[in-house]
Amino acid sequence: MNASVASTAERTTALAQLLARTALADQAAFGELYRRTSSQLYAVALRILRDRGTAEEILQEAYVSVWHNAGTYDAAKSQPLTWLVSIVRNRCLDQIRRRDIQTVPLSRDDDEPELEIPSDSPTPVEMLLDGAAALSVRECINTLEGSQKQAIALAFYHGLTHAEVATHLRQPLGTVKSWVRRGLERLKRCLDRAGVTA
Amino acid sequence: MDLSRPDRTERLDALAAQYALGTLSPRARRRLARAGPSVPAVARAISAWEMRLAALAEAIPGVTPPPRVWEGIRARLGMAETLPSRGPWWSSLGWWRGLAFGSLALAVALAVTLFTGRPGEPSQAIVVVLAGQDGKPVLVASADRGSHVLTVKSVAPVDVAAGRALELWALPQGRDPRSLGLIPASGVGRVTLADTAGVALENTPALAVSLEPSGGSPTGKPTGPVLFSGPVSRLY
Repeated sequence: MNASVASTAERTTALAQLLARTALADQAAFGELYRRTSSQLYAVALRILRDRGTAEEILQEAYVSVWHNAGTYDAAKSQPLTWLVSIVRNRCLDQIRRRDIQTVPLSRDDDEPELEIPSDSPTPVEMLLDGAAALSVRECINTLEGSQKQAIALAFYHGLTHAEVATHLRQPLGTVKSWVRRGLERLKRCLDRAGVTA
Repeated sequence: MDLSRPDRTERLDALAAQYALGTLSPRARRRLARAGPSVPAVARAISAWEMRLAALAEAIPGVTPPPRVWEGIRARLGMAETLPSRGPWWSSLGWWRGLAFGSLALAVALAVTLFTGRPGEPSQAIVVVLAGQDGKPVLVASADRGSHVLTVKSVAPVDVAAGRALELWALPQGRDPRSLGLIPASGVGRVTLADTAGVALENTPALAVSLEPSGGSPTGKPTGPVLFSGPVSRLY
């Protein structure tokens, strides 16, 4: 185990402790949790919502919910950041699904985030991941075909539906659905082999 | 549907994957989200997929949200002001910045002076328009520069609970507030100053009114909330 792996484990533990203290209505712990996680959660919301005002609103709702529901976080079941990201993502998805999904503008020229996780310059949050797990995820993602990666990235980062991904990539709906399904299956097989998830 | 049956687990896993990825139809999404808390197999499948995809979300470079987001969260949760209180309100820079409505108050003061000034006499007045947090003038304090009496007129109704009183304070630059006396909640009150108004209110940029026990602050400093405040305008 190298130093960075040890420190990622420490950070994860620290976040879990902050969540536990937040569950006990510790305002200072809640503030620290916000300080450590808000930029990542805001970035996630911005990608999906593509509107600062709405992203700020969702972020506020999410942290209010975290304050009230921190007690339901189970460290045995998920990493703290995964839990927080899921809360934000689900709120974002609920929000955009309420809109007319056919009108979501997304230029074909948009810079799509690559699904690869940069290996040379890890993001702060990547470092929060257990080092070994992050490595496996990176390797597994690299086993996907380009079209599978692209379809999954569009859906995941921008919250697009299958139909929207199909429109964006100018591909038949059935083709896109099968890219996503096969990509996810392959990812799961690879990650399960690597022992990333139970 | 018994989701824990082996032939169903594959279907459930596919649904959970679509849920975590975000591509489920809104209806299916709601159904699965509702089932989650009560069906352990559903919750497990969803959280496993959220973990698998977590690394993708975490690969996004962070963007620091504007400070108003945190302020909004605290406001929604009814948490107290986070600003470190290093001293009483009158020593806080923020409070003094709040007096920026002074330009409006000054305009009001001039109007008041024009109305009350006796024609033919040069006006050597000190006028203070005291306003609440909403900026609406509530009290107008005025005195001739050479007079020992400060007149405080109520221009909007003030509700003062029984057993409470309004106390008027001078807020001298860099020093603690000095009580000028109690004032009535309505009508016209007269406060006798220790010196002429020009001298008594020298180096005093602002006046404030706090809510105190009847009889006035027991400590000699404001103890209750500041209801109104305003900058001192010297019209000479």
